[in-house]
Amino acid sequence: MSPQTLVTILVFAPLLGAIVAGLFGRRIGHVPSMAVTTGLLFLSCLIAWINFVANFNGAPKFLVELLPFIQIGDFQSTWSIRVDTLSSVMLVVVTSVSALVHLYSWGYMAEDDSKPRFFAYLSLFTFAMLALVTANDFMQLFFGWEGVGLASYLLIGFWFKKPTANAAAIKAFVVNRVGDFGFALGIMTVFWMFHTIRFDQLFPLIPSMLNKGWDFAGQHWSALDLAGALLFVGAMGKSAQFFLHTWLPDAMEGPTPVSALIHAATMVTAGVYMVCLLSPIYEHAPVARDIVIMIGAITSLFAATVGLAQNDIKRVIAYSTCSQLGYMFIAAGVGAYQAGMFHLFTHAFFKALLFLGAGSVIHAMHHEQDMRAMGALRKKIPVTWAVMMIGTIAITGLGIPEIMGHGLGFAGFYSKDGILEAAYKAGLSNPTANFGFLVGLAVAGLTAFYSWRLIFMTFEGKPKWGAHPHDDHAGHHAQIESHSEPDTHGHDDHGHGHGHTPHESPWVMLVPLLVLSVGAIAAGFVFAPYFIGEDHDAFWRGAIFVSANNHVLNEMELPAWVTWSPLAVSVLGLLVACYFYLLKPELPPRIAAQKGPIWTFLYNKWFFDEIYDFIFVKGAKLLGDLFWKVGDQKLIDGLGPNGFARASLEGGKRVAKVQTGYVYHYAFVMLLGVLGLLSYGIWLAS
Amino acid sequence: MMTDLSSALMICLPELILAVGAMLVLMLGAFGGERSTGAATMFSGAALIAGAFAAALGPHGTLFAGAFHMDQLAAYSKVAIYVASAFAVVMGYGWMNRSNERKFEYPVLILLATLGMSMMVSAGDLISLYISIELQSLALYILAAFQRDDARASEAGLKYFVLGALSSGILLYGISLVYGFAGSMGFTQIAHAIAAGGANHGVVFGLVFLICGVAFKASAAPFHMWTPDVYEGAPTPVVAFVAAAPKLAAMVLFVRTLSMGFFGAHEQWAQVLLVIAVISFVVGAFGGLMQRDVKRLLAYSSIANIGYALLGIAAGTQLGVQAMLVFMVLYMIDVTGFFACLLALARNGRPITQISDLSGLKGSKPGIALAITALSLSVLGMPPFSGFWAKFYVFKSAFDAGLWQIAIAGLVASVVAAFYYLRMIKIMWFDASPAPVDGSPSEARWIAFACALFSFPVVLIALHFLDQSAGLAAASLGLH
Amino acid sequence: MPLTAIAFYLLAIVTVVSGFMVITARNPVHSVLYLILCFFSGAGLFVLLGAEFLAMLLVVVYVGAVAVLFLFVVMMLDVDFARLREGYAQYLPLGLVVAAVLLGEMVTVSSAVANRGAAAANATPQAADLHVSNTQSIGQVLYTDYIYFFQAAGIVLLIAMIGAIVLTLRHKPSVRRQKIHEQVGRRRRDAVEVTKVGVGEGISE
Repeated sequence: MSPQTLVTILVFAPLLGAIVAGLFGRRIGHVPSMAVTTGLLFLSCLIAWINFVANFNGAPKFLVELLPFIQIGDFQSTWSIRVDTLSSVMLVVVTSVSALVHLYSWGYMAEDDSKPRFFAYLSLFTFAMLALVTANDFMQLFFGWEGVGLASYLLIGFWFKKPTANAAAIKAFVVNRVGDFGFALGIMTVFWMFHTIRFDQLFPLIPSMLNKGWDFAGQHWSALDLAGALLFVGAMGKSAQFFLHTWLPDAMEGPTPVSALIHAATMVTAGVYMVCLLSPIYEHAPVARDIVIMIGAITSLFAATVGLAQNDIKRVIAYSTCSQLGYMFIAAGVGAYQAGMFHLFTHAFFKALLFLGAGSVIHAMHHEQDMRAMGALRKKIPVTWAVMMIGTIAITGLGIPEIMGHGLGFAGFYSKDGILEAAYKAGLSNPTANFGFLVGLAVAGLTAFYSWRLIFMTFEGKPKWGAHPHDDHAGHHAQIESHSEPDTHGHDDHGHGHGHTPHESPWVMLVPLLVLSVGAIAAGFVFAPYFIGEDHDAFWRGAIFVSANNHVLNEMELPAWVTWSPLAVSVLGLLVACYFYLLKPELPPRIAAQKGPIWTFLYNKWFFDEIYDFIFVKGAKLLGDLFWKVGDQKLIDGLGPNGFARASLEGGKRVAKVQTGYVYHYAFVMLLGVLGLLSYGIWLAS
Repeated sequence: MMTDLSSALMICLPELILAVGAMLVLMLGAFGGERSTGAATMFSGAALIAGAFAAALGPHGTLFAGAFHMDQLAAYSKVAIYVASAFAVVMGYGWMNRSNERKFEYPVLILLATLGMSMMVSAGDLISLYISIELQSLALYILAAFQRDDARASEAGLKYFVLGALSSGILLYGISLVYGFAGSMGFTQIAHAIAAGGANHGVVFGLVFLICGVAFKASAAPFHMWTPDVYEGAPTPVVAFVAAAPKLAAMVLFVRTLSMGFFGAHEQWAQVLLVIAVISFVVGAFGGLMQRDVKRLLAYSSIANIGYALLGIAAGTQLGVQAMLVFMVLYMIDVTGFFACLLALARNGRPITQISDLSGLKGSKPGIALAITALSLSVLGMPPFSGFWAKFYVFKSAFDAGLWQIAIAGLVASVVAAFYYLRMIKIMWFDASPAPVDGSPSEARWIAFACALFSFPVVLIALHFLDQSAGLAAASLGLH
Repeated sequence: MPLTAIAFYLLAIVTVVSGFMVITARNPVHSVLYLILCFFSGAGLFVLLGAEFLAMLLVVVYVGAVAVLFLFVVMMLDVDFARLREGYAQYLPLGLVVAAVLLGEMVTVSSAVANRGAAAANATPQAADLHVSNTQSIGQVLYTDYIYFFQAAGIVLLIAMIGAIVLTLRHKPSVRRQKIHEQVGRRRRDAVEVTKVGVGEGISE
């Protein structure tokens, strides 16, 4: 089969699965609908890898045009599948993680009654994500963008009987609307400037627009910077960057496989993907890139600090995701798009691994998510422990630089070091990039701390799950609004309650974990030379545009401290975590109990939810109340419909009152009418 | 002076059919008594249908020294009037059967009233105008009081008669003044006199009286006072008749008189008509708000609608007349359907008249409820129902004639009036049903359904033909 | 001043005054009598115009039939006229205003027309044909030129007749009516029966 047919099958197989499971799931039963969706996803995954390998071996990029979508004048949008290195990488990431998550869900969702719906949503999400990454114009990109948003909304609120899940779903949707607004404005700006939304027509035009802009308030504003910044607002929403990040931790209300697939590996990286895809714009938009760096750096720092104080296992990983996304944006901002993509690629493996591992822990703990109620699980669930270790090593970037050419380490080591080195190089000429570098370095240490903290609290120390585990933290319910997934579904095999012994997950859940472990170990080692190493030009083959004066990926002699410092801070984080959670485990609860200002600040996530609630939610409600009660009810309704209606009724009463029923009154009215009309007529005639 | 007798008789064949038919039915009834009511009804219906065919296909011409015009306008109106009257005959027969009061005079009077209307739309001078109006009115007075044992019906008939006599007096006074100033009764001669002498005080003086007299027949405000009482008191099939055909006849009479005889004074009478139109739709819209009785409500509705139709005449253009003709025919169909629905509804043998009695109709009589809904939406002017097209035509012609302030006032009034139609719909569909309603008679039900179906979707096809024939009819006045 | 002018003014004044009296007289019978006087003087005006046939018609039909009918109706109906006049004073001012405005307008128009000349001045009335009498000329046109109006008026009267019957005629089942054909057609055997009555027996039926 031609590659064109193959990729078409690749993209539409998940849609077919979603339709079958979603519309006919109840009729064909649980197992068939799960089998159909999972089977089709594995088919997609297989094709994606075939395509990736072909691309790797030098197959040319191509475009499959399927159907016209919206074609009005210059606004030409076509349903199409764009295959180049960038999309090939994304196809592999999306389909692989998705296929594994599908498989994992067989075990994780075994007790749920709505399995067909769940699998249909997962497949629908995958289709939308594939449409996003293969888009050849902004319209399809936007379609995929909104499609994944919809699927995310549906999946976060999958347990729709739980109020917190509904609230989280709505929050995710609304926050993303803010980003989408900027995104839509960005698309409009692009269309307004270039009269096209097709990437292949747009990118060659960009150099001709370098100086276009407006003079406003005594400043020259570059149009490309404006477009880049607006489009980045969209990316901020989707990738949960600072200011628009609040939805991501709450999104953990969804089932854990969803968190792994959507809120760690794929959807949230769409923003990074878009910035890399639009590298021709960003390469010519220095201001927009500085914004990208700043936001990325602040996000990674913020999320890492918040992650230090969280107790919900999934939330810790969620903040970690947020932080790693910040890394990716730092990379894109300094011009190392390849490094950003590489981190995206490796992160997909180890973050999915961590989430699924956490899912396995939660499963083992009978849907307990509070780490303070865990401990000493290593012996009980050794496989999960092993894969979590692998994931943690990968995310903390442990590895030895400067041996075997690229150094030796797990996946995160290569990509994170790549980003930091690129930031350092860019920082030589750009102070903002310098800031990015320093923040990145600090965050590496924080990452190590909270990641190991998670491992130690969960797997080491004394078991805290024997007795009733809620007693010692009854006062902390407020923070973790809902730390347990609803167990309304029947626990036939292990019943309710917390007194049971943790047990290892079934193999259908462990297999994906093992597969992902392989990725987390080897993805960096194998692919680093191609993504960011000396072969990167041959690998990317123009899918990412790099301007002539961008040298961040070129070989350059770096000071030794730059190369070694990431390892150093990472080890430092590990040691501090060791101290707090292995040697002196009684210390952290005491710090928490003191409620110091820093701890409170971090514990409450920098008070973002409170501030947003005060400014936006309350403000909007106040404004809405003002418009509703004063503007609408009093002014518009009062003077308009209601006032008019009142006047009408009054008029009606008057008219009805004239209708007395006496003939002589009627006759008199007639005569008055004659008289009036006569006077009017005569007045007209004279 | 006169065309030869045979062709003259052919030209007024529709009237002859009606007059002779009425007398034959009268004979039939006089000798056959109550038992012959069915036959009389059938015969009357046949006469009306035959008359309609004769009017549609017969020759055109002017008879009796210009007193009688048979042209496209007359043919159009006659066909519409005859068909509406035939419906009234059928509905009345069913109604009399149910109330055990079979009277053969009912179809006879309908025939004679129709004859009067037929002469109204053909009237070419002031005498035939007056006599035809009297012919029609007298029959209607009697019909209104037809249920002579019912106090309300008697009251309705008496009020109608007394006020009608007053309006006839006003009309006659106007006619005599016009005759005095123009020196002739014929419309063409009057037009010549106005062209020669200008629209002076004298002509306007008489004309205003004339307009007032005819406005009474059309139930335009402020000469509308009889309408709610008569609608409420008179028997429902009679009201169905009074509400439909005579209105069209009066409007056509208006158009013919004003355009043929008094076009030289267009500026004056257009203003007078506009005042009447505005008062009519304001009174119609606001007066209906407080009503509890469906028939009274429809009375105000008809007052408002006459106001809208008058806009078309006041525009003084061919398009305006065309719009008025389309409007009136569509309105006649709607209103006939409305009354057919009312005839189809009874509770414990007593007809439903209060709006509140309609509550919960969707459960007991979904078909009728649907028909009333469609007709209400149509009368209030909701697209794509027929009433929307009717109003659209009239308002468009008013806009084209530069009467946009008036047209906007009309639109506002129709928004106000929308309230009472919507309230009716709300009561039918959303309120609880107090008690079951009786089974509805088939003829009323079928007429209701047919009219509702016409209001949508048949109108979408029929409108084309209606528009065309109305255009031809309007063209026969020689306006531009 | 010629005699006709004196006669005209006399008759006109009587007509107007009696017309006024019709609506102001307290006694309704007097009103009807004033109405008759009004008709009479109107007939006199017709005579002055040379329309003697119309004058006779007015006297015969209106005075002889209509007004006398009115008189009977008024005298037979027990109408409480005092009650009808309630509110007379209440509505009088407004009525007077209306009447005054109307009168003012009439006067204005009349004077305007009289000054500038009416359109009627252009139309010359046809002089009466001296060789045919008034009655004869009406007869000539009534069934020819005005046949349409004549027939239509006939139908109006027919309706009036039908109406009168429909609204008033009642077939009361309690009223016994004479059926002549039944009385005449009666036979002896229908009416009389001869039976033998046995001794000591009665007739039981």
